[in-house]
Amino acid sequence: MSHRVEVDQQMCEGHGKCQASAPEVFEHRDEDDLSHVILDEVPDTLTAKVDRAIRLCPRQAIRWVS
Amino acid sequence: MSPISPEAAATLPHGINLLEGRLFQANEMHEAFRILRAEAPVHWNPGTDRFNGFWSLVKYEDLLHVSRHPELFISSKGIGGSGLRYPPPGQGEGSSSIITMDPPRHVKMRRLVNKGFTPRAVLQMEPKIRAVTNTILDRVQGRDSCDFVLEVSSQLPLAVICGMMGLEEEHWPAMFDFTNQILGSGDAEYQARVAPDKVGTFEGATLTAADGNRRMNGFFRDILADRRAHPREDDLVSILVESEVDGERLTEGDIVAFCNLLVVAGNETTRNAISGGLIVLCEHPEERARLQAEPSLMPSAVEEILRWTSPLHHMSREATADTEIRGQKIAAGEKVIMWYPSANRDEDIFDDPYRFDITRDPNEHLAFGIGEHFCLGAGFARAEVRIMFEELLRQFPDIQIDGPPERLRSNFINGVKHLPVRLTAAR
Repeated sequence: MSHRVEVDQQMCEGHGKCQASAPEVFEHRDEDDLSHVILDEVPDTLTAKVDRAIRLCPRQAIRWVS
Repeated sequence: MSPISPEAAATLPHGINLLEGRLFQANEMHEAFRILRAEAPVHWNPGTDRFNGFWSLVKYEDLLHVSRHPELFISSKGIGGSGLRYPPPGQGEGSSSIITMDPPRHVKMRRLVNKGFTPRAVLQMEPKIRAVTNTILDRVQGRDSCDFVLEVSSQLPLAVICGMMGLEEEHWPAMFDFTNQILGSGDAEYQARVAPDKVGTFEGATLTAADGNRRMNGFFRDILADRRAHPREDDLVSILVESEVDGERLTEGDIVAFCNLLVVAGNETTRNAISGGLIVLCEHPEERARLQAEPSLMPSAVEEILRWTSPLHHMSREATADTEIRGQKIAAGEKVIMWYPSANRDEDIFDDPYRFDITRDPNEHLAFGIGEHFCLGAGFARAEVRIMFEELLRQFPDIQIDGPPERLRSNFINGVKHLPVRLTAAR
């Protein structure tokens, strides 16, 4: 089973903690200085890393989409 | 501080009353928090005839929970202390700044300026921060001793935030003075402008904070008029003047409140991280030696300094609905206070939390809070602390504390008012 995750661009301030936790899923882009989700579906093998990114995000801008 | 009633005092765990600034001034709060985490992680701290009681939160996970629910635990009813039981008429009306604003307006206002505070913006400012640091250190070169707070630690954050706001250097001492009045209002040292018989009293504190705010806000009304008449490119005041939220220009009151917050939050907290950092490094000579031998450890050391000093003791929130924390019922309208120094020494999160370890990993401290109200200036604070210690320990490798620090009487700011240091090796 896989899941979707999203970054709230209104909240994100480009701290980059998510990319450090799960570089397979999140990418910090220079053009807007914000984090973007680069994987449409997150495989189970990466769930723990995304959970860590969600927990560590300073702005709490990341959430699972059900 | 008005006394707590004997009946209420009897309910305090081990007699610990977190409304007392004295506990923090004596630096005895860590032992109190250790007891509370073990025995009373969510407890009701009764109020006094003047102040509300509040639910006291000391566990890391509970601070996370409250911070992640800004609609349930709001900031607009006050963020410092538990608030007055009988607020004077008109209090809480009029303009407020983002620190006492809730969603959805909070993030709209924050986004007016947050591009100036991103990691990228901080990186671009680094050469300037280093230059300012060296100017400050040049002033004490050749001396044997100084008051580290007045001459060093306070000067860097003051210069950075005032510079970002486009304030000329002649105004910086006033910003320092107003900030001390506003955040240090409960400390007799900063009550110099009230009548002698009021010094050290509740009224003295109230008058001091009001006087500081009145003077700061008056100053910014003049600055605002100047920026409107003579627009500038990119200082924070000018950005606010040009900004709109929901299609409306900010009012004079909005902008003045925003500027007040930027100055106060921008210079008081980082000052204390730097002062507290020097104290803890001097108290742990092995860790300090390791850092001086291996300067690449500095970013990690800065995180440990932030965890250890937790420059802000607390933030308070008000519950908007009946809820529960750790099984304890909290009623709508009740205050909760999040104690950061306690969360940052929570045994469930940090291994050996009372050990100062400059290579601690992981080190997910909450010194800047988290979520909706995560410290806007965190990136600048980190850079300022890091650059200051890089330059300080390079230029003054033998610096030592030369007498006890004088701490601020406050349960809000972990302040150091004065810190005598010896800059050179003892002869």
